[in-house]
Amino acid sequence: MLRTQLASPPPPALPATAEERCRVWYAAYGQAVYSYIRFHVSSADVADDVTADSFLKVFRAADRYDASRGEARIWVFGIARNTLRDHLRRERVRRHTSLGAMRDLVFDAPSPEERLLWEEQVGRLLLAVNELNANDREIVGLRYGSELDNAAIAAVLGIGESGVRTRLWRALSRLRTIMDCQPE
Amino acid sequence: MSGPPDDLKDLDGLLRGVRFAPRASLGAEVVGRWRHGERVAELPRFLPRRRVLGLAAAALLLGLGLVTFWMIALRPLGAVTVDRCCQDLDGGGSMDDGLLVVSEHGSAVKRLMIYEDRDGSRTFSPPDTMRFERHGAPVVQGEMTGDHRTIQFCCLDYDGGGPSDDALLIVGRPPDMIAMAAIYEHHASPGPLR
Repeated sequence: MLRTQLASPPPPALPATAEERCRVWYAAYGQAVYSYIRFHVSSADVADDVTADSFLKVFRAADRYDASRGEARIWVFGIARNTLRDHLRRERVRRHTSLGAMRDLVFDAPSPEERLLWEEQVGRLLLAVNELNANDREIVGLRYGSELDNAAIAAVLGIGESGVRTRLWRALSRLRTIMDCQPE
Repeated sequence: MSGPPDDLKDLDGLLRGVRFAPRASLGAEVVGRWRHGERVAELPRFLPRRRVLGLAAAALLLGLGLVTFWMIALRPLGAVTVDRCCQDLDGGGSMDDGLLVVSEHGSAVKRLMIYEDRDGSRTFSPPDTMRFERHGAPVVQGEMTGDHRTIQFCCLDYDGGGPSDDALLIVGRPPDMIAMAAIYEHHASPGPLR
């Protein structure tokens, strides 16, 4: 394990100006949204584009955000989900994951050899994730990409927390089966 | 949060270790694009025109199908009366016989009469003479002897069903005795007598 699970960060205070608000939101949720999207797309470049589109929509809709109706991160992830769905509909191609270098993969491995091994392992993992159906991929992306906790995932998906757990473990079981069938 | 089942713990741990980061300049780039008023091309939420046309065509076909089904299978219950006059149905040599068929749905024969059009009205009327009458099932009336003849007429709409695909079968002894009369659908393999 290369890193430990981070506790959910407290929601950032909302600045007065729209531009500042946008900067704060990106700083708070940009990486989580990117990582969530990265679980669904084939390359870092595509993930950059979809993340940028997601935040452009967030920024344009910033005036409509109502803090009394829910956390900003839930709202941001709702927009990111829709943007990702639109992207995947537009693509209509089979996703594939390159086993080559992942420039966007965060790693703490001290040596180049360990880094290569880690990249290969994550590449195989993403290949297996991309074999999952859309619902399974969604829950895996939200849980491990976005690092949202179960309550937040439940709010994003509009289901109960127990439903999140059930879906997640089932998805992981199917992921395990796929990985067991992968050639070495 | 309760942890994963034991057999999934290693996979859960592996996934928790995966983290991606966008390029460092992405945040500033997005803010700049937003400041310049850039919009994201939205996928249309309304139905594409081709799909609308397809749905309209499907609805039209469905409507036509329902109307056809109604006309054929669910048309109003009730008797259809067909009165055809005048032919030589009894073999008497005069074209003065009429056929009256009362059918249900234009198919099942409920009543069949052959009459002689005595008053020349070319329809069944009280002065006419009844030569043959039966109800639902075809029956033979009287004794069949060797001098009976079989006469067939084809093809007309005898049962009121619409198409002129019915044949009339008459067995009788000329000039005016009719023992049996029935109609049937005239196809390559004729339908049952009705």
